[in-house]
Amino acid sequence: MHVSMKWLKELVDVDLTVEELVDRLDMTGTAVESVRSVGEGMEGIVVGSVLVKEPHPDADKLSYCSVDVGAGEPLRIVCGATNFEAGDRVPVACVGATLPGGFTIKKTKLRGAVSEGMMCSAPELGLGGDAGGLLVLPPDTPVGMAFGEYLGQADTIIELEVTPNRPDCLSIAGVAREVAAITGKQATVPASVPAESGAPAHRAVSVEIADPDLCPRYTARLIRGVKIGPSPEWLTERVTASGARPVSNIVDITNLVMFELGQPLHAFDAATLAVRDGVAAVTVRRARNGERLTTLDGQERVLDSEMLVIADDSGAIALAGVMGGENTEVSGQTVDILLESACFEPTSTSRTSRSLGLISEASTRFERGVDPEGCVRAADRAAALMAEIAGGTVAPGVVDVYPMPAAPRELELRVSRMNAILGTDISATEAGRILAALGLGVETYNDGDTLRITVPTFRPDLEREIDFVEEVVRVWGMERVPVTLPAGRGRIGRLTAHQRWMRRIDATMRAAGLNETMTYSFVDSADLGRVRMTVPDDGLLVELVNPMSEEQAVMRTSLLPGLLRSVSYNQRRGVPDVHLYEIGTVFSTSPGRKLPREHGAVGGVMAGLWSRPGWTGDDHPLDFFDGKGVIEALAEDLSPRHFQVRPADLPWLQPGRSAEVLLDSKVAGWLGEVHPSVAAAFEADAPVVAFELDVEVLLSTARAVRTYTEVPRHPAVTLDVALVVDESVSVERVEQAIRKAGGVLLDTVRLFDVYRGLGVPEGSKSLAWALSYRVPDRTLTDEEVRPVHEKLLRKVCGAVGAELRS
Amino acid sequence: MSIIDELESLKAETLARIADAADLAVLDAVRVEVLGKKGSLTGVLRGLGALPAEDRPAVGKASNEVRTALEQALDERKALLADVALSARVAADAIDVTLPGRKRLPGRKHLINQITDEVVDIFTGLGYAVAEGPEAELDYYNFTALNHPPTHPARSATDTFYVRDLSEEVPGQTGPVTDVLLRTHTSPVQVRVMERQKPPVYVIVPGRVYRRDIADPSHLPQFHQIEGLAVDEGITFGDLKGTLDYVCKELFGKDRKTRFRPHFFPFTEPSAEVDVSCGICAGSGCRFCKYTGWQEILGCGMVDPNVFGYVDIDPEVHTGFAFGMGVERIAALRYDIPDLRMLVEGDMRFLRQF
Repeated sequence: MHVSMKWLKELVDVDLTVEELVDRLDMTGTAVESVRSVGEGMEGIVVGSVLVKEPHPDADKLSYCSVDVGAGEPLRIVCGATNFEAGDRVPVACVGATLPGGFTIKKTKLRGAVSEGMMCSAPELGLGGDAGGLLVLPPDTPVGMAFGEYLGQADTIIELEVTPNRPDCLSIAGVAREVAAITGKQATVPASVPAESGAPAHRAVSVEIADPDLCPRYTARLIRGVKIGPSPEWLTERVTASGARPVSNIVDITNLVMFELGQPLHAFDAATLAVRDGVAAVTVRRARNGERLTTLDGQERVLDSEMLVIADDSGAIALAGVMGGENTEVSGQTVDILLESACFEPTSTSRTSRSLGLISEASTRFERGVDPEGCVRAADRAAALMAEIAGGTVAPGVVDVYPMPAAPRELELRVSRMNAILGTDISATEAGRILAALGLGVETYNDGDTLRITVPTFRPDLEREIDFVEEVVRVWGMERVPVTLPAGRGRIGRLTAHQRWMRRIDATMRAAGLNETMTYSFVDSADLGRVRMTVPDDGLLVELVNPMSEEQAVMRTSLLPGLLRSVSYNQRRGVPDVHLYEIGTVFSTSPGRKLPREHGAVGGVMAGLWSRPGWTGDDHPLDFFDGKGVIEALAEDLSPRHFQVRPADLPWLQPGRSAEVLLDSKVAGWLGEVHPSVAAAFEADAPVVAFELDVEVLLSTARAVRTYTEVPRHPAVTLDVALVVDESVSVERVEQAIRKAGGVLLDTVRLFDVYRGLGVPEGSKSLAWALSYRVPDRTLTDEEVRPVHEKLLRKVCGAVGAELRS
Repeated sequence: MSIIDELESLKAETLARIADAADLAVLDAVRVEVLGKKGSLTGVLRGLGALPAEDRPAVGKASNEVRTALEQALDERKALLADVALSARVAADAIDVTLPGRKRLPGRKHLINQITDEVVDIFTGLGYAVAEGPEAELDYYNFTALNHPPTHPARSATDTFYVRDLSEEVPGQTGPVTDVLLRTHTSPVQVRVMERQKPPVYVIVPGRVYRRDIADPSHLPQFHQIEGLAVDEGITFGDLKGTLDYVCKELFGKDRKTRFRPHFFPFTEPSAEVDVSCGICAGSGCRFCKYTGWQEILGCGMVDPNVFGYVDIDPEVHTGFAFGMGVERIAALRYDIPDLRMLVEGDMRFLRQF
C-alpha cells in the first residue's frame, strides 16, 4: 500500500516527522517497507510537446520525434513507446538530466539518428505505475514547465506492508484512522453527496444477484452525459502517487476512490450493456463452464463455474472483483456510466484471481475483505466527482441489492483476562480508550472489568476476545510489557537418550576426522540409476508434485548422490582432500502410503589424503581402511555386542572393496570404495571411500551402560608368530581360529604385519600376530605359556590351513 | 725414594691424567691402570711387605688417602664428562620448534548445526525438551491445525512443495493437488506435541523446512528453523518477551537489545516480530541493518486459541507462547555470509572455517 503523505495529511493531522511516524507505524504493527520522495531530483526534466512523430528511418519499432521543450530549437528524440501522438504533452529528460534510477541522459545516436533527450514513462521518473508507455500529461500542461514543478510540491510516499488481517488499511482513509489511533488524533473520512437529477437510476438499470453467498452486496449508480478526457492535475497526481497509471477522468476517479476508501469500483459504458425492456439488466452469477470473456488487458479468459461474473443478457461482461471486460470498457465515446460498487466474497475472488493468474488492485482488496457497508459511500463519492470533473449528471437513487446485510458485531473483553495473557496491568479505562480510538464502540459493564465492544464492519478481523487483546497491546506498546520468565513447575530440560546418542555419533564422526556437510534433500530422479541403487525395502521414490526443477524432483533415498556431488565440487575447485559426513533424512514410500517413510542416515565420503604431504613424510592415499577406521571408531563408541564388516556385492561399490556393516547381526549399512564408473557419473575422481549407516540400527544396538573390568596388574607374556595362509583365507577367520584355540590364558590378539613376497609362496600371505597371554592373579612364566602357545598354533594351522613361517 | 714419595708422585701424576681425560673411555683406562687389580697403586703397595712394621701404618694410611683422592677425582671428572656429553647430545638434538606438528585434525560441525545445538542447549538449560517431527507432513498439521484459512497464499503450489500421495484416500480440498507436503516450517510439530502431551509443555523443535524459493544468495529451497513452544497455566506475553530477550543476549551478546514489533501470524495472537539491535553499528544505523539499527531475527506470539481448539486444550485454563527462528538467518547475521548456497555446497574450505 503506497501512502502519499500529502494525501494522508488531508485526512488526519500528523504532527510527527516522517521518521517518527514510520517508527510509530512499525511499532504498532504496520510495517513500513520503504519511504521515498517524489518531485525531488527532477532537474533537467521538463514538460515537452510532441510536434512531429515520424517512423524511424531505420527501425520499425522506434519513432523519430521533434519535441518542443519551450526553449531553443525543438529536440530530436528517438522513442520506443507507442502510446502517444503528435500534440501530446510528455515529460522530457534533456541532455545532462539524471533520472531517479541513476541514468544520465546524453546526446547519442540510435540506429543512425541523433537523439537529444528522452521522453519518460512514470517508472522512469521514480513514480509508480505502468512502464508500458510514456506518461502522457494533460493537454493544458504548460510546455517547458519543470516537471518537478508540475508534480506539485514534493511529496513523500511511504509503502506499508499491510498484514492479511487488516483489509481496512488498504485505503488512505483506513490508514488515516490507524494513524489517528496510534497518535491520539482524529481522522476524517471523505464523503460526498452527489446532486441528482433526471430519470431515476432504477428505471434504466436492474441488478440481480444469483449467488448471494459470493456477492453480499451489489450497488449500481448511473451517471449520464459524461465527457471523457484527461484528469486534472491533482487527480493524476493522487493516482500516480498510489501506484496506478492515469487513464482517463472516469477511470482515474474509480481508482482514486478505491485508493481513498478501499472500495474497488468499476465503470461500465452503459451504452454497451444489453438492454431488456428498456433496462440494462445486470446479473451477478457464477460463470458457465467454458464461458469466455475478454478482459480489459485484452486476454481472452476461459471461465468455469467456480468463478463469479457480472453478466448481461449477452453473457459475461466482467470478472467479479478481478477485472472488467473489454466490450463494456469506458472509451473516448462513452457518454453514460454504469458505476459498480459491490462486495464480493474473499475466498471466491482469491481463487478466481489465482486460477487465472490475474491479480489486480481490486482483487487484492476483495480477497482480504471489503466492507459491504462502504459500497454506497464510495459510489456517492465517485458519482459526485464524475459530475464535478467529467460534467456528468447523476441519476437519482442507487440500485442497491444487499441480500446479506453486514451488522456490527457485539463482543466482550475481560480486562483481567487480557492482563493475565499479557502479563500487564492495563486499566479498563486505558483499554477502552485505545479501542475507541480505533473506531470501536466501547461500553463498560457494571463490574468494571468487562468491556462491551461494538465492532464496525470495516474491521472484519476483530471476531474474538483475543483480537482485542492484540489491539490493545499493539497500541499501548509491546515495549511496555514487563519482561518475565515462565514460572512453570514440573519441567525438565534434557535431551532424550536418542538425541544424546545422535550427538555422540556426530562427535565420533568429527573425532575420526570428517567434516559435517549438508546436501539437498531432493535429488534428480535419475540419480538412483546413476548411483546404481534401488529404493530400499522394495519401496518407491517419493516424488514432488511441483519440483523446482528435474534435478530436484524426488526425495533422496540415500545420502551418497549428494555427497558425491560435494566430492566433485571440491575436486573441481582444486581441493583434492575431501572428508565429509552428513547426518540427514532419507525418504521412501510404497503403494497405499500417504506420508513417506523417513529414516535417519549417517553417510560419509573420503577422497585424496588426510592432509597434503608435509615435512614429516607423505600421507597415504585414503582407501577402504580409512573408511573402515571411521566405522570402527563409531562401533567402539556405540559398543554393540557384536560388530562385523563382511564382504558384500553392492553395485555402487568397487567389487572386492565393498562390504556390509553388521551390528548385533543386523545390517546397519555399507562401506567401500565407490565404483569408478559411479564416481565418474557424478564427475568425481576415484578412489572415493564412502559409507552410509542407518540411524535406527545404530541406536538399537548402542549400549550406554558399560561394565567394569579389572585393569591388569600382572604383566603379559607376548609371543609373536607369522602364519602363512592361502590368499582366500580372511584375517577375520584366522583371528577367530586363534581366539577359539586360545583358552583362558590368551588375552589380546594383534595383527601387526601382512606380508607377501620373498619367502612366501605365490597365492599365499604371511600374517604376523602378537599374542599376549595373561591371567589376572599372577605373572605367567614362559614354562606355563609355551605348551599353550604351541597347542594353539597346531590348532590354528589345522583349522585354517596355515603354516608357520620360520 | 720412599714409598710415601712414590705414592705422592703417583697421586700427582694420576690427578693430572684424570684432569686431562677427554672422555669417559680415557678416564676409565686411567682408573684401570692405576686402581685396577694390576694397577700402579696396587704395584706400589706390593712393596709394603718389605717395610719395617712400624712404617707400615703410615704408608697404609697414605695409600688409602691417595686411593680416596683418586677415586674422588675420578668420580668428579666422570660426572663432569657425563654432563658435557649430555649437553653435547642435547645441543645436537635441538630442533626448529616452528616446524608444524604432526596431527590429524578433528572435523568440524556444520555451521547450521553448531548454531542449532547452541540454541538447543540454551533452551534445555531453561527447562525445555527437544521434540522432532516428520519433514514430509500432512496439510492438516502444517496449515489447518495452525489456523491457516483454506485460501492462505502459503498453501499455493507456487509456495509449497507437495508430495505425491500414494494412498487411496481422496485428497482434501485444502492443498492444491494433495494434502501431503514438505513442511514449510517447524510449527506442525507444535500440534503433534500438544496432541500427545497435555500441559505443561516446554519444547524446542529444530529441523529442516522447505519452501519453493529459487536458490540464490539469500534464499534456499530448504533451510532450518527452531521452533519453541511453552504451554502452561499463567504463561504471559511478558514471559515470551523475557525468554526471547534472554536467548538473544545469549546468542548475540549481553549488550544486544531486543524489540518486539506487532505483526500477524495465523497461529499466534498477539503476534510479534523480534528485532535485535544491529551488531555492526550497535543501533546507530548502517548498511547491514538497512539504516534501521535493528535486524529482524524471529517471529513469535501467544498461541492462538483456535490452535488450542484443534488439540483440545482449554484456552481459559492454559495459555502459551510460540516462536520460530531461522537458523540460516542467524548464521548470515552472525558471520555476514554473502551467499547461503555455500551452506549446501560442501566446500571443505568453507566448512573448515567454523
